[in-house]
Amino acid sequence: MKVQILEKNGDSIRFIIDGITTSLANTLRRIILSEVPCMAIDDVMIIENNSVLHDEILALRLGLIPLKTDLDSYNLPEECECKSELGCPLCRAVLILDVKAESKERVVYSKDLIPEDPKIAPISDKIPIVKLAPGQRIRLEAYARLGKGKDHAKWQPVSACTYRYMPEVSIDYERCDGCGECVNICPRKVLDKSNDGKVEVRNLLECILCRDCINVCPKDPPAINVNGNKESFIFYVESTGVLPVERIISEALKIYDKKCLEFLEEISVNLNVSKKDENN
Amino acid sequence: MQEQGSRRAIGSGLKNEGDYMIIPIRCFTCGKLIGDKWEEFIKRVKNGEPAGKVLDDLGIKRYCCRRMLLSHVEIIDDLIKFYGKRDVKNENRR
Ligand SMILES: [Zn+2]
Ligand SMILES: [Zn+2]
Repeated sequence: MKVQILEKNGDSIRFIIDGITTSLANTLRRIILSEVPCMAIDDVMIIENNSVLHDEILALRLGLIPLKTDLDSYNLPEECECKSELGCPLCRAVLILDVKAESKERVVYSKDLIPEDPKIAPISDKIPIVKLAPGQRIRLEAYARLGKGKDHAKWQPVSACTYRYMPEVSIDYERCDGCGECVNICPRKVLDKSNDGKVEVRNLLECILCRDCINVCPKDPPAINVNGNKESFIFYVESTGVLPVERIISEALKIYDKKCLEFLEEISVNLNVSKKDENN
Repeated sequence: MQEQGSRRAIGSGLKNEGDYMIIPIRCFTCGKLIGDKWEEFIKRVKNGEPAGKVLDDLGIKRYCCRRMLLSHVEIIDDLIKFYGKRDVKNENRR
């Protein structure tokens, strides 16, 4: 297996994994989407709310605010030793919102959410939660906890996690007459003509395997061929900002590792049991 | 009608106005945070900048996220005016 990082800027990363199967690539993708935990507001105690948004919509909006996650100091509630429905300081974080519009309209922003633990704070200060008319007030306590994307999309640490086959473009120069039809039709400008009129592959990674170039080629059979390498993948992972992308990927692999170990343990226990049965 | 026309230019077509009267926090489709980009978006578009360019500047690449800002109408601004007036009236009565 070979990994090559193509680009990493801020919250997103693009890399090539060479030498794995589709099933493994999809496993990685699905674990990232649905099993890597992150923080989100789950329970909201509304003390006062006479804004135009109903309590439920307000709570939904609070839940969707991405919170910076500290995976090392917090436990998943189902794995926490407290076993309490309300949670303990190890499995939940409290945020408080108390805003009143006095004489003017006021927008309630995510920066008005005061976290008890400064590590669990909204990733952006400028998210509008609700707007208040003069005299309206919102007072509430919100409880954030770790959760998984398979339970609710608010616990999904990524806003995009995709992979596609590595494109392979081959041109048969013996039959290609350099008409340039394929260069013109390519929607991603993968192909280009060199100075001596030869069709060349310029941005291979941009190719989306649409095969328009094959269909437009006047030669029969076409002088150009496009294929996806089914053992090589271009991955794109984009974090919502709750965790750094590297952490999301390493966490996903750790979860996969744990699942495999659990499976191995279960199967060896069962094998031992059946051996004993045979001896009896 | 002039005002209606200009609002249609930045998008309309809401069905469940009660649910979406304020800018959604995340993109419905992919989950990217878009709520915090609304105020800059609408300010710049109202100043005459092309919406597509503003979206590019804000780093909103996918069309699922772009339609979130492009098609949004901030109805809560209109609603709040009534609440404000009602509350002031009630206070005067007292
Ligand atoms: Zn606990
Ligand atoms: Zn989106």
